[in-house]
This record gives sequence, structure tokens and C-alpha cells, in this order.
Amino acid sequence: MTNRRDFLQTLAASGAILLPGHALAQGSPKQGGTLVMDILPEPPTLASYLSTSGPIGQVSAKFYDGLCEYDFNLKPVPSLATSWTMSGDGKTVTFKLRDGVKFHDGSPFSSADVQFTFMDVLKKFHPRGINTFRSLQAVDAPDPQTAVFHLDTPAPYMMMALSGYESPIVPKKLFAGTDIQNSKYANNPVGTGPFKFVEWQRGQYMRFDRNPDYWRPGQPHLDRIVARFIGDAQTRSAAMQTQEINYGGFGAIPYFDVGRLTKIPGIASTTRGYEMQSPIVELDFNTRVKPFDDVRVRRAISYAIDRKFVIDNIWFGFGKPATGPISSNFAPSGIYTSDVRNYNVPNGVEMANKLLDEAGYPRKGDGTRFEIVHDVTPYGDEWQRFGEYVKQALAKIGIKATIRYEDVPTWLRRIYTDYDFQLTSNWLQNLADPVIGIDREYSSWSIKKGTVFVNGTGWSSPETDKLMKDAAVEIDPKKRADLYHQFQKLVVDAVPLIWVFELQFVTVYDTRFKNLVVSPLGTYSPFNAVYVES
Amino acid sequence: MSVARDRARYIGWRLAQAVPTLLLIVTLNFLLVHLAPGNAADVLAGEAGSATPQYMAVLRHEFGLDQPLYVQYLDYLRNVVSLDLGYSFREGMPVRDLIATRLGPTLLLMGTTIVLSIGLGVLLGLLAGTRPNSLRDNVISVFALVSYATPLFWVGLMLIVLFAIELRWLPTSGMVNIAAFYTGWAKVGDIARHLVLPAITLSLFYMALYVRLMRASVLEQRDMDYVVTARSKGLTERAITYRHVLRNASLPIVTMAGVQIGNLLGGSVVVETVFGWPGIGLLAYKALFARDLNLLLGVFFVAACLVILVNIVVDVIYTMLDPRIALR
Repeated sequence: MTNRRDFLQTLAASGAILLPGHALAQGSPKQGGTLVMDILPEPPTLASYLSTSGPIGQVSAKFYDGLCEYDFNLKPVPSLATSWTMSGDGKTVTFKLRDGVKFHDGSPFSSADVQFTFMDVLKKFHPRGINTFRSLQAVDAPDPQTAVFHLDTPAPYMMMALSGYESPIVPKKLFAGTDIQNSKYANNPVGTGPFKFVEWQRGQYMRFDRNPDYWRPGQPHLDRIVARFIGDAQTRSAAMQTQEINYGGFGAIPYFDVGRLTKIPGIASTTRGYEMQSPIVELDFNTRVKPFDDVRVRRAISYAIDRKFVIDNIWFGFGKPATGPISSNFAPSGIYTSDVRNYNVPNGVEMANKLLDEAGYPRKGDGTRFEIVHDVTPYGDEWQRFGEYVKQALAKIGIKATIRYEDVPTWLRRIYTDYDFQLTSNWLQNLADPVIGIDREYSSWSIKKGTVFVNGTGWSSPETDKLMKDAAVEIDPKKRADLYHQFQKLVVDAVPLIWVFELQFVTVYDTRFKNLVVSPLGTYSPFNAVYVES
Repeated sequence: MSVARDRARYIGWRLAQAVPTLLLIVTLNFLLVHLAPGNAADVLAGEAGSATPQYMAVLRHEFGLDQPLYVQYLDYLRNVVSLDLGYSFREGMPVRDLIATRLGPTLLLMGTTIVLSIGLGVLLGLLAGTRPNSLRDNVISVFALVSYATPLFWVGLMLIVLFAIELRWLPTSGMVNIAAFYTGWAKVGDIARHLVLPAITLSLFYMALYVRLMRASVLEQRDMDYVVTARSKGLTERAITYRHVLRNASLPIVTMAGVQIGNLLGGSVVVETVFGWPGIGLLAYKALFARDLNLLLGVFFVAACLVILVNIVVDVIYTMLDPRIALR
């Protein structure tokens, strides 16, 4: 007798259902109902094949499918692809595609769409796809149900970037031969997903109705999903309380309100469903300039930050201390290690003072060693409070910091184009694989003036460069994990930035709705299995 | 007859004057917004949370950011003159269409606010001014002062707490009930229900201004010679107030209203944010932080047109209220 989990996985692989074990046990789904989501801010467009902007993904995953979805072990599971095989050298991946799938305009989905999407859209225009599919040379379509990916080097990370959120499959028929960047189907999308786009009233809402021809039989259960965009945090909380909205992911409900709201019967929260995002709260040094060109100074400041205080008092407990560049969310795949230099120690201030003395920055008569300007990343109130905390923590070790707060474009320009900063708070996501989320921040080839959210610290080393390059093409999971362990050790020693903590996003939802979070993609999931209890 | 002709000629003259004014505004706006550091490509890529140099180059080229500033300016001028306000790359829509969809809700909120605030303001100001230092005057003056001094967002949130959360009489936010998709009269009623709280919030503040202005104006007028004359003629206080004092005291109100239109566009950003009202203020606010300059300039342009138009209307209203003011 197979156990329940195996049974479910078999079902999932056969495409009959796609639910992790715990989700199935919750009563029988009925058809009907409208889910109102709050999305923050309003998406600029619906062209998720051109932009990875978070709000777009929250809706686009409802109407675009990908080749795969992912389970909580961060393993790909079938979606438009029913199975796949990788050749021994890792350079050929063959996908078997689902039969009988139709786009929302009624046209059939086939391998030609896969070929077109990857070669002519994602590889050319997708902000991350340009990098993720860099070794993808060609996609063959020998028959309508087979797509063969040819790579010039093995690309194990590619298998992690095939969700409908990350790599949406678009219909070739409607895009081929047109200006992809200005397609008329950008904001009138035609996908294969469980919900069809109906209308977008700018500034108010988007409406998606049930796709009756969806390829998972009997799904989706909901009649409709509506996305709203309420700019004010207090109003969002109020609307959640009056059930005018039923779902808010990615911190749509401010952290300070989560505790209060979830005490109300009928409202709950979860931090699951962000395992493929893994944001890390950081303090980035400009390692090009004094005093942060000196590793001892960087280490000193890393020792001086009280991670637990920051998590508990500024982020209301939604986080856990970070040990290095790679999030502990990668523990299931073995890539993560905590066996690195530990800066999160009780006598941190003492260590910091000692290091600064050694580095040649003794306390002067007024008790200070030197002055810096601390930039605060302009993404909300928490960051301002975090800036104030950093100022106090630095004062304890004799560094006088002045806080500077600017708007998003000005800050981006300062950090990633002008390099005119000393120490800034920041947060970057690990995303689905280190090649996608880590290389951009630590490699020498990612020091690109004018490109945002890449290597802004200016730090790199030949050893870590090599480890990243080797790991990118290593198809043996164990060897690959080992390379990343070495990488983590070296980077944490050099501390080009401080990993403060792993930020947990929080989803607040109306408990009448079931199956809302069933995969590590959470809000970026298709919501085909969501139903409402009457 | 000749009054009508004069009026038409005057309006034509004022409209002609508006053209160089608008050009000046457009030029100044263009230079001003380009002073802001960072550009739309930075923001768009920043929102994406990841980017490659190739992607950034593609964006910059598409937005025309790789062109020299004077070329961008000439392009923009050509767009304005042809009344095509350009394209918002961020929103993937022509600016004209974007503004068109948002102008309706803004005008609805503005119109309701103007009617409510002027109507109530004039009435309360008159009640207060005709009996200065009485209990009635004191109550009204304190009410006006409190309304004026309370921050808009706080009033908005308190109204939401009371009427949406506690009493459940009205919705918290938005312009229509999203889950229902009403049509016909049901939709009109639905929009009206959504309009109540934002309109009251915004009106309270402006009403306070008009109350104080009207009260001062009435106090000034009631000691004028013409009032003494009217009183000696044996007119009742009521007739004096409504036929003579009210008309004369209204001139500053009209002036103020003309100036307020511009402010109202800006002031409604707060109310639009709190109540999720899909107006033009919010659009401009978002455009600023996204460095969506075409859109921002488009909103400025429409606002400038609106202010110029309203001021022409105000000047015409002057002559109706007081025939001694001639149109020239």
C-alpha cells in the first residue's frame, strides 16, 4: 500500500490534481464565489513576459500557465508540461506537453508556442529571462506535444524558472511577427490559465472570470477573481475587516496590523507561500570607499547589529536571523549552510570595538571614531525605523551616522548608477535559485553601472566568481551544494554586506476561502483550487 | 444684447491669452520634472527587482531617454500642440486615454465637494456673520476651526471606522462595489454610496475656509452705507440680508473658489489615497514617483487648462453678481 503522500504525488504527476497533502483534506469544493484580492501597488501592465514587477505576477499567474509548478520541497511538478527528461550531459531537456489545452481565444496550445515563448520572448525581453536562459540555444518542436531545449552548457537553475509567474507561455499566433514590447495583447492577455482577463478599470480594479475550458477538469472553483488597489494601509486593513477584500499578500496588510486583524474571527494569516522569494534584509557597504574598503570595519558593523532586536521590534517578529547570502529556505535542496562565520553573537559590540581599534579608527575625544551617511531604502515606514535603529547601533561603537531618506528613483540612481553612498539598507530576494538571485549580487560580472539590484557594493573575488560559475553548470545536486557551501563561507568572511535577517512576507486572508496557499509560489499561483465555503 | 456680445468677445480674448500662458506652463513643467534625479527606466527595472544591462538599454531606448533633452522637449511640444499628450510607457497606454478615464471620478468628487463646501460654507458663514458673538456664531466658528485644523487623512480614517466598520452603513473605499458589478440605476446608487465619505472628508476642510471668509465678509458689509439706506427704507433684516448683503459678500467667495480649483486637484490626493478613489490626483502622485514624465506632464497640462477655464468662468460670474465690474 503506498502512503498518502505518494498517492497524492502520483495524482499530481498525472495532472489530475495539484495539491500538497494537507490541502486536500478540507471538505469538498463547491463552484462559485468571488475572491477579492488587494494588490499593492496597482500593476503597471499585465505583460508578465516583459516585467517581473511583483504586482504583475500576483495577477498574471491567474491567466498565464508555465511548463511547471513547484511543490514545497522546491521540486518542479507538472503543469503545461506533463513530464521531462534531461540528457546525461545536462545539455538537452525534453518536455512532454499536455494534450488538449486551449488558450482563452479557443486556439490550441502546442510546442510551437513553447518554442516561440522561450526563444523570441523570454530570452530576449524578460528582465530575468535574458540571464536565466542565456545558455538556451534552441527549442525544437518535433511534434505538437514535444519541446526539446538545447543548451550550450548545463543549466540546472533553468528548471526552477518555469512557473507561470516566472516564464508565462504566450500564444505564438497572437504575438509572432508583431512588436513584442508593444503588443496589443499586453493588457488584454490571452493565456491558458484558470481565469480569463475581463476588464481593467485603471485605479480601481481588474476582473478575471472563470475559464470554463480550463485543462484541469472541474476547476477552477471560483467564478471570479477581482484585484483591487487600495493605496492607504489603514484603509486596506479596514476593508479586510469589513470583508470588502478577502486576500492580501506580500505585506498588503501592514505588519503592525496583522496581530490585531487575525484576532477577529474569520481572518487569519500565514507566512507560507514565499519559499521561492526568500527576501533578505541587508545593509550594503560601498566597498570602493573608505572606511568600508577595510574588511575589519565591515565585520565590526556586522557584529554590532542586534538581529533579534530588529526582527522583534521593527518587523513585529516576521523574520529570522540570516547567516549569509543564501536563505535557509534552500535547506531542502542542501544548498544552504549555517557553517559560516557567525556575526550574531552576544558580545557583538565588544568585538566591534576591538576590530575598529585594530583597523586604525580609535575613538577621538568626543567618543566618536568617524562619521558616515546612512541611506535608507525607500520602501516604507519599517525601513525608516530600521535606519533609526542602525544609527543607534553605530553610535554604540563610536560611529556617528546621519540618515538620508530619498524617493525610489533618486535612491536607485545613487546606489546603482552614481555609487554615491557609504552604507545603505536594502533588500534583495534569493528567488528560485542562486544563479538567478545570488550571482547578480556578488559576481564581478554583475558590477554594472546603471543596472538596478545587481552588485552595488563593488565587491567580488576570483574565488567566489569561480565557485558561482562552476555551480551554475553543475548538474550533480550534491556537488553543486558543496560549491555553494564553499561560496557562503568565503562571502560571509568578506562581508561585502550585512545579512540582517530573512524577511517573512505575510498573507492575510478571509478564512471562508480554502486552498489559498498550496505552493511555494503562494500569491503567484494560479488559484485554480481555491474555493469558498458557503 | 450688447452685454452678450461683450461677454462673447471677452471670452474669446481670454481664450487667446490662454495659449501663450499654457505654452509657458508646459515649458516650465518640462524643465522642472527633468530636474528630478533618476528616470522611468530605473524605476521600472527597480520594481521588477532584477534587471540586466541589456534590459535597461532596451527600456532607455524605448522611452527615448537616450535622446538629448532638447529633442525630448521638441517631441513633447509637438505632442502637446497636436493635443496628443504622448504615451505612458509605464502604464502601456496613451496619456490622453489614461487621463480621460480618471477625469470623470475627479470631476465628480470635485463637483460634489465644491457644491457642498460652498453651499454649507456660505450658509453657515451667513448665519454666523449676521449675529456675531452670539452662541450660534461661536458654535459655527468653533466647528469651522476644528474642521480646518484636523488633518484630512485622519478625518477620512475616522469616518471609515465609524460608518464602514462600526455601523456598516457605507463602504470603506473604491468607487463601485467590485464583487457586484451593478448596472443602470443600481450602479448610480452604488457610486453615490461610495462618494459620501470622500466628499464629506474633502468638503469639511474647504467648507471651513468658506465659513470664515463669508463670516468676515458679512461683518464688513453689514455696516456699509447701502445697508443703512436699506434699513432706513424700512426693509426687513431678512430682505436686507438676502437681497443686498449676501450678493455683495459673495464676491470674495467666488474669487476663493476660482483659486481653490487648483488646490482641490492637489488636496484630493490624500482623500483619493485614503478612500481608493480613482481620481487624477492619485495618478499624478504615482506618476511622480515612477518618473512617468509624459503622464505627469499630461496631468499638469490638463490641470492648467482646468484652472484657466475656471478662472474665465469666475470672471464672468463677477459681472453677474456685480454689474459695476465690466468685462474688458
